[in-house]
Amino acid sequence: MSHAELSMEQMHGSVAEERPYGVPTRKLVMWLFIIADAATFGAILFAYGYVRVGSADWTKPFAFYPTILNAIVMTFVLLTSSLTMLGAVRAASAGRPTAIRWLGATILLGITFAGLHLREWAAMIREGWSPSHNPVGGSPLFGAAFFGITGLHLLHVVCGVIAIGVITLLYRRGRVDASYIETTGLYWHFVDLVWMFVFPLVYLLNAR
Amino acid sequence: MSSAGSSSTPGMKFYVVLWAGLLVIVVVEVLLTYAHVRPLSLTLALIALALIEAAMALLYFMHLKYERRILFWSLIPALVFVLVMFDHFWPDAFRVTSMRLPVAASSTPPSGG
Repeated sequence: MSHAELSMEQMHGSVAEERPYGVPTRKLVMWLFIIADAATFGAILFAYGYVRVGSADWTKPFAFYPTILNAIVMTFVLLTSSLTMLGAVRAASAGRPTAIRWLGATILLGITFAGLHLREWAAMIREGWSPSHNPVGGSPLFGAAFFGITGLHLLHVVCGVIAIGVITLLYRRGRVDASYIETTGLYWHFVDLVWMFVFPLVYLLNAR
Repeated sequence: MSSAGSSSTPGMKFYVVLWAGLLVIVVVEVLLTYAHVRPLSLTLALIALALIEAAMALLYFMHLKYERRILFWSLIPALVFVLVMFDHFWPDAFRVTSMRLPVAASSTPPSGG
């Protein structure tokens, strides 16, 4: 450390206050992002609720097989990915190399979730569903609500998989420490948390 | 919740039990859906179960329980306030349809003098 850096550190050390939240800035910023994003999902889910209540001819198109069963499998996959992410955070905090394998498992589960989701979308689009068209009659707003809510969530999953992939590469090369994995894990658990509302409200309440 | 800051978090065995508990809640949600419960009761039950799941994820998976209390009290009440405001103001959107100007008045172009 140079003399200038040393003196700067000494200067900051004398005036620096304790962090009021007791967490690194990176983690606090992620929490603030999560709260803002939760309000976004809250807005879209409340809007869905009011549109649904306000539409006399609301459609309930989902049969147990394949849609609800597919959504149950997707829920299982996403919940399991949260568990593997916790494994990655714990392993990285303890300095164990298994963190890479836990992160790899989380990425694979995230890709599986996105694949199942896209397969479901493709089947619905083949049946004639779109954000503005309801092929079985009833309110066309069903398509807008369904593709809007699940699309926003799917976008978060894809971004999460990319973020975990980047962090895994950087961690493997020793460019970032365990705290980056913990912060990315916070985001991934939030994606899981949102699905806990999307699954019952968008899938189960629209089951035939 | 810790008042002193991040403390030791539970082991992997605890998280596996929590994960299994969340899966059980998912199964209960599906069973309730096909149990011919009244729509309003089903909606309220599903929202209540989702809130329990969210609380478990927030406190344990996201470690909010092990952070300083001030982090919880700075973030969560603000979010709840925003969501309650959504709930109170969203119905106002339905009033818009009755607030439109009469067609004749709005479509008549102003006279050029």
